[in-house]
Amino acid sequence: MTNAIEIRGLCKSYGDFALQDVSLTLPGGSIMGLIGENGAGKTTTIKCILNLVRRDGGQITIMGRDNISQEKAVKEDMGVVLDECFFHDTLRPLDIDRILARIYRTWDSALFGDYLDKFQLPSKKFVKEFSRGMKMKLSLSAALAHRPRLLILDEATAGLDPVVRDEILDEFLAFIRDEDHAILISSHITSDLEKAADYITYLHQGRVVLSEAKDVILDSYGRLACTAKQLEEVDPGDLVRVRRGAYGCEGLIRDRAAFQRKYRNLLVEKTTLEDIMLFIGKGDAV
Amino acid sequence: MMGLVIKDMLVMRKTIRTYALFLLFYLVMTLLDLFTISFTTAILQLIVMLLPMSAFSFDEMAKWNGYALTLPLGRRAVVTGRYLFALIMTLAAGLCGLLSCVLVSIFGDQDTLLENMMTVMVCLSLGLFYADILLPLCYKLGPERARPYFYLVIFAPIVLLLGAYQLGLFSPGSLSFLSSVPDSSVVRLSFFFPLLPLAGMWLSYRVSCRVMEGKEF
Repeated sequence: MTNAIEIRGLCKSYGDFALQDVSLTLPGGSIMGLIGENGAGKTTTIKCILNLVRRDGGQITIMGRDNISQEKAVKEDMGVVLDECFFHDTLRPLDIDRILARIYRTWDSALFGDYLDKFQLPSKKFVKEFSRGMKMKLSLSAALAHRPRLLILDEATAGLDPVVRDEILDEFLAFIRDEDHAILISSHITSDLEKAADYITYLHQGRVVLSEAKDVILDSYGRLACTAKQLEEVDPGDLVRVRRGAYGCEGLIRDRAAFQRKYRNLLVEKTTLEDIMLFIGKGDAV
Repeated sequence: MMGLVIKDMLVMRKTIRTYALFLLFYLVMTLLDLFTISFTTAILQLIVMLLPMSAFSFDEMAKWNGYALTLPLGRRAVVTGRYLFALIMTLAAGLCGLLSCVLVSIFGDQDTLLENMMTVMVCLSLGLFYADILLPLCYKLGPERARPYFYLVIFAPIVLLLGAYQLGLFSPGSLSFLSSVPDSSVVRLSFFFPLLPLAGMWLSYRVSCRVMEGKEF
């Protein structure tokens, strides 16, 4: 099966910030979560995929096609929801249907109407009257109504309440039932990604520090809680990052099972994506 | 790409409707002989010239261009859509002007039809000329920063002419040679005036495309 997204050695410099040698692969039929702190390079990576910014180096293929030389064909197959709703306040969903029907060859007005009904969005109300949740649902409806094979979402669920987020996540899971479909979603809400994503790519200061199947990450990584004295006894090579506090120390372990076999007297717990982000973002190198 | 033109029209439908009411008002005033047709057509073109600039402002507010580039269109099509919108609006204003001339000649002075039509063609040419200059400026600087240039382009020729007149570099008499040109030739010629700014629109479009190609969103 063709990979939905393949990025090799992507570089983009803004002077004070640079995306360095970013590589990732999103297989078809799966969801990849792109995580990282603010300014880590998630949006820049997405902008490079969408050719909104010029990359300095590297290669990006979408569904086996180059994202620049075959840009239009690539974008016919792609639905995009960015962190804001880009539809003008003076438009109504009805107008958006009329506009996008003349832009996408595969636009399905009936399907768009179905999504509006499903998300309970009034087709004759102006966008300015919509809440943030409604705007994001409208963006998602517009992104899905031309039957794309790839969905790209940049912080699309940020600022939404858990009920709306759950509704949108359900839609992602329904979309991904087709093995030909894939989703790349950048988000700070790691709990959503733990629920929905198959793969996680973690960007830190413009570099990929982790790109792996989510289950592998959650099964293998662990969090060590111990005293400062116990931490000193651990081989630094067995720790990814450490955090030293007044009441004890913590360490991020890459291979929980192997660590547990080696240090039977130390307690290693399962970790979460948020823990991993906090260790890498705020923890100290060993 | 037609989707983008429709988008502009839908986004600005309220403004277009208001301007249409203005037009109706001016037309009635002209038919009542309170305004001259040249004044009405000039106002009409001026109003229409503001439309593309407003479209840029609306797009900037909604951050539309970033989204437009995620659509299967390409940067060139985004520019083409805006030029088509400006062209359609300017030509529609010209057409309305010509219709006004016909109406005025039916209900009023019939002798001035050709002269009035010539005024419309000159206004149309100026409208297209302003679009040629302002659209690349809006792409390069954004609508807010381009706005002072808009007024500069409109008022600079007037200020220059007045200045030249005050300094004695120009007198209305120096244009007396024009009176030797037969009226019928001038009228016929005026119908070709818009061709020049239309040709210039191609150059303007190429410049805007180049600006757009270099932009990052």
